[in-house]
Amino acid sequence: MSAPREKIQFVLNDQVVTVDFHADSELKPTTTVLNYLRSFPFHKGVKEGCAEGDCGACTVVIAENQGGKLRYKTIDSCLVFLPMIHGKQLITVENLADSNSLHPVQQEMVNHNGSQCGYCTPGIVMSLFGLYKNHHNPSREVIEDSLTGNLCRCTGYQPIIKAAEHVCSKADADKFKLHEAKICALLDEINRDRSPIEIETATQKYYKPLKLADALAFRNKFPGALIISGATDSALRQTKKHEVLSEIIDISDVGELNYFVGDQQDYKIGAGLSLENLKSLSAEKLPAIYNMLKTFGSLQIRNLATLGGNIGSASPIGDTLPLMLAYKAHVKLQSVTFDRIIRMDEFLKGYRSTHIRPNELITAIHLPKPEPETIIKSYKVSKRKDLDISTVSGGFSLQLEQGIVKEIILAFGGMADMPKRASDTEKHLLGKPWTRQNVEHAMKILASEFSPLSDARAGAEYRNLVARNLLLKFYAETTSGL
Amino acid sequence: MKTVNLKHDSAIKHVTGQSVYVNDITTHRQLVGRVVYSPVAHARISLLDTKAALKLNGIAAILTSKDISGENQMGPVIHDELCLASDEVTFIGQAIVLIAAENEEAALKAEKLIRIEFEELERILTLQDAIKKGALIAPVRTIESGNVEEIFKSAPHVLTGELETGAQEHWYLETQSALAIPGEGKEMHIYASSQNPAETQAIVAEVLGVSKNEIDVEVRRMGGGFGGKETQGNHVAAWAALLANATRRPVGIHLFRDDDQKITGKRHRFLSKYQVAFNDEGRILAYSVELNSDAGAATDLSRAILERAMLHAENAYYIPDIKIVGKAYKTNLPSNTAFRGFGGPQGMAVIETAIDRMARFLKKDPAEIRKLNFYGFNDRNVTPYGETISNNHLHVMYDQLLASSGYTNRRHEIEKFNREHEFVKRGISLTPVKFGISFTTAFLNQAGALVHIYTDGTIAVNHGGTEMGQGLNTKIHGIAAAEFGVSPDYIKVSVTNTSKVPNTSATAASSGSDLNGMAVKNAIEKLKSRLAEVASTELNARLKKDSIVPGQVVFAENFVFSSTYPEEKIAFADLVSQAYLKQVSLSATGFYKTPGIFYDRELGKGNPFYYYAYGMSVSEMELDVLTGEYKLLRSDILHDVGDSLNEEIDIGQVEGGFIQGVGWVTTEEIKWDKNGHLLTHSPDTYKIPTVNDIPAIFNVELLKGYPNQGTIRKSKAVGEPPLMLAFSVWLAIKNAVSAVGNHEFEPEFSLPATAEKVLLSIEDIHIKSLRLNDNFK
Repeated sequence: MSAPREKIQFVLNDQVVTVDFHADSELKPTTTVLNYLRSFPFHKGVKEGCAEGDCGACTVVIAENQGGKLRYKTIDSCLVFLPMIHGKQLITVENLADSNSLHPVQQEMVNHNGSQCGYCTPGIVMSLFGLYKNHHNPSREVIEDSLTGNLCRCTGYQPIIKAAEHVCSKADADKFKLHEAKICALLDEINRDRSPIEIETATQKYYKPLKLADALAFRNKFPGALIISGATDSALRQTKKHEVLSEIIDISDVGELNYFVGDQQDYKIGAGLSLENLKSLSAEKLPAIYNMLKTFGSLQIRNLATLGGNIGSASPIGDTLPLMLAYKAHVKLQSVTFDRIIRMDEFLKGYRSTHIRPNELITAIHLPKPEPETIIKSYKVSKRKDLDISTVSGGFSLQLEQGIVKEIILAFGGMADMPKRASDTEKHLLGKPWTRQNVEHAMKILASEFSPLSDARAGAEYRNLVARNLLLKFYAETTSGL
Repeated sequence: MKTVNLKHDSAIKHVTGQSVYVNDITTHRQLVGRVVYSPVAHARISLLDTKAALKLNGIAAILTSKDISGENQMGPVIHDELCLASDEVTFIGQAIVLIAAENEEAALKAEKLIRIEFEELERILTLQDAIKKGALIAPVRTIESGNVEEIFKSAPHVLTGELETGAQEHWYLETQSALAIPGEGKEMHIYASSQNPAETQAIVAEVLGVSKNEIDVEVRRMGGGFGGKETQGNHVAAWAALLANATRRPVGIHLFRDDDQKITGKRHRFLSKYQVAFNDEGRILAYSVELNSDAGAATDLSRAILERAMLHAENAYYIPDIKIVGKAYKTNLPSNTAFRGFGGPQGMAVIETAIDRMARFLKKDPAEIRKLNFYGFNDRNVTPYGETISNNHLHVMYDQLLASSGYTNRRHEIEKFNREHEFVKRGISLTPVKFGISFTTAFLNQAGALVHIYTDGTIAVNHGGTEMGQGLNTKIHGIAAAEFGVSPDYIKVSVTNTSKVPNTSATAASSGSDLNGMAVKNAIEKLKSRLAEVASTELNARLKKDSIVPGQVVFAENFVFSSTYPEEKIAFADLVSQAYLKQVSLSATGFYKTPGIFYDRELGKGNPFYYYAYGMSVSEMELDVLTGEYKLLRSDILHDVGDSLNEEIDIGQVEGGFIQGVGWVTTEEIKWDKNGHLLTHSPDTYKIPTVNDIPAIFNVELLKGYPNQGTIRKSKAVGEPPLMLAFSVWLAIKNAVSAVGNHEFEPEFSLPATAEKVLLSIEDIHIKSLRLNDNFK
């Protein structure tokens, strides 16, 4: 048996870079792509603004080979551990211009005065580059969505939107297009080997399986290891709390977990499907999920974050969870020896804890296809509309039969230590006519069902008011509209 | 020659990632500096032990207040701010220990090994508490005109109220940074992210106990300043210098975002109390306001900020009888500091609220009430502090904006919309800004420049201002090119360096281009007059004349010629090399001081402002009555910059300032817990506007045809005034909330109007209207 793979490889500056964590004492497996890049004099363009994925100054683009075409994704490099870019092309602001001409996105930023202090600019340029590579003549909504993850404190964004509109009205004909085949070939070369990467240093162990069987085997062998799948939440433990993460199993690139299929009964969503891919795939089939993902983090976050990761973290404010309850989702858990599928409400245990067993991985989420007459809606109330953590979120489902409530699920986030259904309110409404009077009466019950916290985001009184009012909003939207 | 609309002089470097910020500079054997700060708001330090930490590998130095060889002070005006706490800490975030380490990891490890014990003392964490305890930090100031008490007794209507305006975090993208490099002897070179390099120099010299001429401070650019680096950029520089001095190695400090937010001061929160008297028509008869500001634990710039708040308490309105009282209080929070607007926004917010309430009370359009009370042209044109307003553009701007925004029609449409929608309401508001330009401390209104011409004809321009993104260097570039009559590629605007231009004022008070532009012009005039001598001699020789005098020499389009014989031209570069050969000095300093301004703060009288900048905006909001969330549908802005020095840059300042103001009035909420810990210490909980928060329709125009006499190229300052245009957003939200109760009830409102406050206000209106209905039953 050959020795395990210990090195990672990716493409940077059009060349394959090999990182050997044993040879280079400065680099750790959890060194972020941001800090890695900034250790070179030539890559100081990438900036740290917050080290938590909330400002986008560190935005870079990764490109993956998908069937001979490169797929470009913006990510926050402050949240990405180096092994996570194995097998991908890393593109930074320094890579865009030629020696004698700016990249079209850079030129339009200059033309429209898109920079003032310039500190956020490299990140903005990279988000525009991602937009340019993925969209021709995008709508204002798509432009805004591409830039939500980039805070700018100087310009007021208007010139950046104009730059985006102009550059995306032109055909994509940049040097990256010209070099696509060459880069794809380099990436193929790296990705041919599907054996897992096992990095063991004096202080850290980092396992990166590329196949499900390997992932399950690692999970079995290292039950105490932190599982990451996108890592947009877990990475904060290092970047913000300065924890040393000693054992990690990184399942972000297990290809078998990356799917979305529908059969007769269910939509089956691979736990490794990125939230951005889920967003695109759910636009028509699962509109409430689409609606919620529109204001979930930023594009950079959704490009990394996965549905399995969001559910596995079991955060009381994890935005997908109430909706999963409303959809009556099931979680598929797999171990080396055993598979099981359990209900989402059985899966969740308490504050950031679940009933997952130490040898199991979340491998899929199954959403039963709702009855045609079932209405499912999602709500997210936050201080700022975008790139904010919800103060209160709601996932509601309603089935009416001749105006009578046949089934209702009212699941809330942000109202308790875990996502929770308003069961008394549900019971009260069940079997009653879906009328404003009944709903207003139910709102009073709802107000007594929860005792939310007051925190940096909002006070308990507001949370209660909002939870109550969301029921009225749901009523209004399911009847005559607003 | 007209100034051309140059692109930002760093634009290409910005978009390619080549712009260098302090944290991007790396030097040989550089150490990482880290600040260990107080975790308690007010306490005596009973134990401070760094021994264990010092033994760690990778630690080069650990310093406490005892290791400061100079003065343990970094208060910019009043010396009441310790560089490192010694016996007592007065806020959470106050620096106690400095660490220099080989890397960040070692510094963090060392921090954990430092033992500090505290005996906690009584603390003041709210303005209400500070007021109750009378914890004043500065003398009480008053500006008074007429007799308000008399008017209040007899006026037809009097309203009284209170307004809280919140703190605001600067959220410059580049956190506080400095790199100190020891030179030979006592020399220290500082790369700073500071709006005030001369003061950084002074404070570094003081803490090191050396003279200023040993310290050299360089500022290339800041990744945003907004006032946050006017004094508080000095702190990291002083800390880095102490560590560099102790280790004799370069030390860089770049604060983590959360540390930056916890350590540094913010916009002052205010608690203001007001009383306004008015007649049926809506004319203000008297206004009395008490402005109480939270200075934090040290004075910093709090006196000047309170002063500016007082000097803007009447905003754009003539108020015959007025009394403005200003009080600054000491609390156990980080010392609050300059922030774009510098107290102006806090002062104006109160009168704008009062007028809004008056309009609701009188059931009139608030825009009409505003217009009715605008300063007049020939009478009703004297401010409470006695300065006469000349060149008042309020009326013309009102007419233009009312028409361009379609305000009146939209107001009617909104009324109709609100009648038809129960759960969604819209609101609209027009608000004006009149902002006084000049430092109110008159002597600060001075600037210097140093201009060199090299023998190849290229020009290096140094000035005392700093570039923080506002485009000052670009404007200076344009001014220099226009004054020299050469194309911009002849000119380079250099980094700001205290060894080039000394004793400068902060780049603040929107004064950057006004002051430095004039100083640069002054230096260029000296050089041109020397060159004109050379040119006239040369032209006389070439044309075989003796009639051309230096006064006839024209500099234009890269050539120099006589106005009388314009066909005979000398290339600018040729003239320069001739001047060099003739032993003419090709370097000159420039200087400028703003004429005719003075202010007696004891009396509250004077002419503190050289001129006023005006702006006006109309904003429309849509409100979700069930959640309190809102969306900015449209903003129309008309802003006065005189003859613009650079229209694209000015529009950038207007848009950016407005959106920063929108943040202050909407989502940027700062919260502390009951122990004085900042709860909103990262972008996770502190929410500045994103691209989605700007108005869907956003029309920004500059007022045309109103040059400003007596300033550089007839321009006006633009940095701060646009921030206050955001009151239209705040009051449009209030207007929408008011619609929930059919405008019968005054929405209780503070600033920022977070969705939470809005929903609680809506709930309050619901309760009041239920009660009213019950009373009728």
